Amino acid sequence: MSPARRSGGTICTRPEPPDNQPTPTAGPGWRLPGPPAARVRGLRKVYRRTVALDSVDLDVPAGAVLGLLGPNGSGKTTMLRLLLGLARPSGGTVELLGQPMPRSAGCVLPHVGALVEEPGFLPHLSGRDNLARCAAAEPLLATAAIPNAVDTALRRVGLARATGADRPYRTYSLGMKQRLGLAAVLLAPRKLVVLDEPTNGLDPAGTREVRRLIAELHAAGATVLLSSHLLSEVEETCTHVAVLTTGSVVATGELAELLEADGPALQIHTSQPNAALAALRAARIPGYTERGLVVADLSDTPPELVLSTLVHAGVPVAEARRRRTGLEELFVQLTEDGA
Amino acid sequence: MTGPADPATRGEPAPGDSPSAGTAGPAPGRHSDCRAVAFAAKLTGRPAAPLVRLLRAELRFGLAGPRTLITLAVLALVPLLIGIGVGARGPAGDALAAAPGPGPGLIAAITGNGLMLPISALRVTLFLLLPLGVSIAAAEALAGEAAHGSLRGQLLAPIGRVRLVLVKAFGVFAVAVLEVAVVTAVGLLAGLTCVGGGGQLLTLSGTSVGFGHAMWRVAVAAGWALLQVAAVGAVALAVSALTEHPLLVPAAVLGAAIVSGVLNVIPSLGWLRPVLLTSGWGSITDLLRDPVPTEGLTHSTLLALGYLVVGLAVAVAGTLRREA
Repeated sequence: MSPARRSGGTICTRPEPPDNQPTPTAGPGWRLPGPPAARVRGLRKVYRRTVALDSVDLDVPAGAVLGLLGPNGSGKTTMLRLLLGLARPSGGTVELLGQPMPRSAGCVLPHVGALVEEPGFLPHLSGRDNLARCAAAEPLLATAAIPNAVDTALRRVGLARATGADRPYRTYSLGMKQRLGLAAVLLAPRKLVVLDEPTNGLDPAGTREVRRLIAELHAAGATVLLSSHLLSEVEETCTHVAVLTTGSVVATGELAELLEADGPALQIHTSQPNAALAALRAARIPGYTERGLVVADLSDTPPELVLSTLVHAGVPVAEARRRRTGLEELFVQLTEDGA
Repeated sequence: MTGPADPATRGEPAPGDSPSAGTAGPAPGRHSDCRAVAFAAKLTGRPAAPLVRLLRAELRFGLAGPRTLITLAVLALVPLLIGIGVGARGPAGDALAAAPGPGPGLIAAITGNGLMLPISALRVTLFLLLPLGVSIAAAEALAGEAAHGSLRGQLLAPIGRVRLVLVKAFGVFAVAVLEVAVVTAVGLLAGLTCVGGGGQLLTLSGTSVGFGHAMWRVAVAAGWALLQVAAVGAVALAVSALTEHPLLVPAAVLGAAIVSGVLNVIPSLGWLRPVLLTSGWGSITDLLRDPVPTEGLTHSTLLALGYLVVGLAVAVAGTLRREA
């Protein structure tokens, strides 16, 4: 029995000197200084002979919405379970909110809301009773505040009385189960929210509501870590991305930077590509054609200058836009190279 | 409309659980170890939900299911059926002399002797139904929760793992209390109404005991049976902590009970008998003798306490090791 397993009786140590930053308020909070909300170093997890994760390093910046992308079986859920202290690492270290896990689970987890794997509730209880049971175990909820917290959480995920909050959980559809799992995450104020494929089984309206919830949590200053294999979901909701393939992180960083990994460039649609290239060359702006589009390198040139150069040279510009690698393209590139 | 902005859900540690009350350093301005600063805001020490709240939630949501009610109803049927069966045969079948041991003889001895019914009913149910009921509750407590995935939520709340086992053990013990109480109370009622016996207990030794003293013996029998059932519950909880298949728990417990019953009657394995929990279960009939021989009751009580401690220890160890 390793003492690191114990969640009771341990004392959380103070890892960093106190920084007197104001409490995060509304707005994009991920520029806030301070230690990352989660820090993973050399993480390894072996199940009997299967290596689920191997030497994973990852930082989840405080205040970020980080999307953990990866194909099925890449170790996303294993990673989240290790982060939350539900499973023991075979090697490496995990820190959550600056505290070592799983040793400090008792200090850290009250501030963490998590929905890992499929939502788990007792089938014979109603959704409301299940949530009340979860609320009873929440350290940060005062007993008197429980009924109100349960009602608020149910309302926020769209499980009002009329839509089945009082029906037994076993009669729930997949989407309703997922909503109840999200409601449990929202029971108490959180510093970190961990969501494992949160839109699993939800209809388009439900998916939109989840995006709205994530945006609300982000705006309230919480860090959100979500795993997904849905690229569009990550592209729309996340500020940061980490790509996991066969147990290793192959790319991590801000979403915008990853999508411009080839350097910033402007794609110009024109009927006279040769004239456009000549005009760019005359102005010493690097450019080339790619799939019928003229691409102007923006590393040293502002986009306004590119456009005015072209227009003054008399090149008809039909359309100009920032080149972004599609996340899907990036994902396929990273995961297939890794395999 | 966000959670943190809602004053009702704002995290105020419950009374009595204030971190500053428990673990903070002596100087109010000083950061204690547990009041660590994570980023931008403080982690408020080591908060935990009040234990009473957890126990109440366990009773209300964990146990008050149809499963417990069905178990109790079946258990109530046993003394009721014995009472009706014996009562219907009437006082004519006075087979007391032919009934020194357990089994059908013990049932026959109830005839016209209603106060013997609760103790006989405990004796009959202790061999199958009481352990079954308590192991079903224990199966649900850890293995069932793990199978539903709801154990993860409890661990993430978080409820500390040792605390979780204590809460679950409390729930299983509550089921044991209910079971024994139902068998004893229904047995007493059925004995007094269907069988009768004039407020006297006719012991197996042939003497007769007054009503007050007989009630005292019934109470001792119930307490003794409760301890035996609790010991089975602790063992069942240990199995429950080691598996994710709830059905395995009653199967393992009943299997072990049957195997130990077999071992009990193999003469060359007589040395095993003192450590087999079931071997002491016959001693409840000692309470129907006069004077009461205490050796068997004492031994079985100590044995049950041992099983209780070992079972709980294994349950804690298994839960600490569990990957949810």
